[in-house]
Amino acid sequence: MSNIQNEMRAVAKELLESGKATVVLGWEKGTMPYDSTPVMIRSAADVDKLIWDEYCLQNLSTYLIDFINSEDKVAIFAKGCDTRAYNRLVHDKRINPENSIVIGVPCSGMKNPKVAAKTPAGAEVPMANACKECRYPNPVACDQKIGSDVTPWCTAKDFSDVEAIEAMDADAKAAFWKEQYSKCIRCYACRNICPACNCTNCIFDQSASGWCSKDVNASENQFYGVTRAFHVAGRCIECGQCEAVCPSDVPIMLMNKKFIKDIDTLFGNYEAGLVTEGTTPLNSYQVADPEEFM
Amino acid sequence: MKTVEKAKLDGFLGQLAQKYSVLVPVDYNGLTQFAPYSQVQEGVSKLYLDGNVTVSPKTVYLPQSEAMYKFRAQGKKLAIEEMPAMDKQQVVFGVRHCDTKAIQCLDKVFLDEKFEDPQYKEKRENTIVFSLACNNPKATCFCESMGVDRAHAEASVADVQVYEFGDTYGFVAVSDKGKACLDAVSGLGEAADKLPDQKPQEVKFDPSELPAKLKGMFEDPIWDEYSFKCLNCGTCTYVCPTCHCFDINNKIRGEVGMKMRTWDSCMFAEYTLMAGGHQPRQGKKERVRNRFLHKLQYFNEKHDMFLCIGCGRCVAKCPVNLDITKFIKQVIG
Amino acid sequence: MSNNAVENFEPKILVFACNWCTYAGADLAGTSRLQYPPNVRVLRVPCSCRVNPQFVLRAFQRGIDGVLVAGCHPGDCHYTTGNYYTRRRFLLITRMMDYMGIDSRRFHTRWISGAEGPKFQQVVTEMINEVKAIGPNDKFRDDAKIEVKAVETNE
Repeated sequence: MSNIQNEMRAVAKELLESGKATVVLGWEKGTMPYDSTPVMIRSAADVDKLIWDEYCLQNLSTYLIDFINSEDKVAIFAKGCDTRAYNRLVHDKRINPENSIVIGVPCSGMKNPKVAAKTPAGAEVPMANACKECRYPNPVACDQKIGSDVTPWCTAKDFSDVEAIEAMDADAKAAFWKEQYSKCIRCYACRNICPACNCTNCIFDQSASGWCSKDVNASENQFYGVTRAFHVAGRCIECGQCEAVCPSDVPIMLMNKKFIKDIDTLFGNYEAGLVTEGTTPLNSYQVADPEEFM
Repeated sequence: MKTVEKAKLDGFLGQLAQKYSVLVPVDYNGLTQFAPYSQVQEGVSKLYLDGNVTVSPKTVYLPQSEAMYKFRAQGKKLAIEEMPAMDKQQVVFGVRHCDTKAIQCLDKVFLDEKFEDPQYKEKRENTIVFSLACNNPKATCFCESMGVDRAHAEASVADVQVYEFGDTYGFVAVSDKGKACLDAVSGLGEAADKLPDQKPQEVKFDPSELPAKLKGMFEDPIWDEYSFKCLNCGTCTYVCPTCHCFDINNKIRGEVGMKMRTWDSCMFAEYTLMAGGHQPRQGKKERVRNRFLHKLQYFNEKHDMFLCIGCGRCVAKCPVNLDITKFIKQVIG
Repeated sequence: MSNNAVENFEPKILVFACNWCTYAGADLAGTSRLQYPPNVRVLRVPCSCRVNPQFVLRAFQRGIDGVLVAGCHPGDCHYTTGNYYTRRRFLLITRMMDYMGIDSRRFHTRWISGAEGPKFQQVVTEMINEVKAIGPNDKFRDDAKIEVKAVETNE
């Protein structure tokens, strides 16, 4: 790890000193030992703040949205999922690839600080849920790379958790989701951290429209959950950040993965965030799509 | 001091539940919050006394969604129906000292201004608070620095002071309501008054200079530095025990409807959006600045106390670890 | 589900009908004097593709017992390709509804052309009978019942 960290600092220093980048986004150590938090570095003197450890979970690509109209040249460090997020955002035309430099960092799986906070001292903190199922630990596209590629520990998508829900009867399913979504406090952290949730104006920020209510109850919360999952269907890059940041531990990825599974079965396998142009499953069609509605 | 063995706490709460509606800190599928003790009895959730709850007890007085009144409108005719009054007193067990201080902050807003909020007042008057002293603060706790007395709960809020010793709980009534409540319970032990051993807090600073220092810092570059990583989600405001901003909405079903009071967050774009479409707080910098200044300067100027009581919830729960203590320390210098 | 069935239950069925095909089909059913139970409320939309899944969720939240989304047959869309998008979208959302525990018999998508008055009659009749058998929808519902006394004051 520390080699990568030293290389990160050296690369950041070089970029800032040469003027190839005016801003570098990386991670620094936060409040607790298990907090690694985004940091913005503008001066080569500050590069020693940069760290690389097993808690650099957070995706930095989404911060590029703030720089879309900026004069700054922004360099970001990106793990495999972050490069997929980067592609996703370029695809959606929400970031400017011209003013960004992606420095890929192969990742061997991150840990979730929220889980670490609950783990008793001395016990091993498990890998974050989404990382356990990660198939793209290496950057899928980047301008330069630090470190050497790792061997992916998963080769196929794992839908066993989705299938476990599918196997329940209707009443049990409804009870499960009602229980989970009655915990939701509608802080919208899942939406705001999501690289696919990048709309300039979200429907859930328009309560006067009547389509969403600020009333917080299991029904409205489920409405929010399904709507958000549907809005990212075919675009979700499976980074699992939504679930990782949820203060109420709602299993949000179970919803996203359901759509991913159905898209794969119905319309053919699709991997979001590998390309920056072309269509996604829900803004395209095939005449030969399955026909169930005759 | 009255005492109850930890193993017999269920019996104690059960006795209280016969007379009052009892709210206790629970763990409900991973979310810790205050909920009716009946849910614990039914096995829906587990009693949680190991640390402070994620969703603060402000929900007792200011629920996230609360009906204000109902109405029926037919043409130009209107009928309004008040919500029913509370049918009995409620006991809130296990409110931490920081949170009693937070309720004192809410009192400033909902009771001490020119207007008394009737719904808040009703709940405030009919609630008996059992305040539990923390012996083992978390690494994110900084309540002492924010003026919370860790040995004695806020006297205007707490009715019974609870201390934790080894395998017993000690109870000291600090108000008449609290005394009546303890008297109603049988089988309590007796012990001499004493204080538990309390571990010191790791985060320490003196915030007394803050309001004066922040006054000249509205345009300081520190706001860019701190706000850049903010996601503008509402986590900090919703887990905060003192954040009290709300919005009023209608829930209309045909000709009947309900006025609802729901939490709102200064982190959301809609919060400051004006009817004509103007957005005075454009982005994360303005919103983070407003939140921090409200907590540490504006409220202090108006009510002579901070609107932050050091529970550390926002520090622990912020998805990007935007740490208010780091900010405070940097401003104090 | 049978325990949900209540006596004399009259379900509310919401039909999103595409303006160009299904609405005409429903019209044909009417002019042809084809009988079907009066439990349906027809909402005309420009194209089945206009139906955002949120509409369907909202209907279930607000007390509808069954939803039918109906449009032109694939290949016949007035806007050429709208219903192909509908098809993808609702293949997914039907499965999501089922995943959320909403009985899949409560939610259907069907292609009904302007000439298919009898098909409209048959689809809605079958759906009404089916939903009648499984009873009122209690899943996903925003269950706050607002009961207010009758208007007296003249304000």
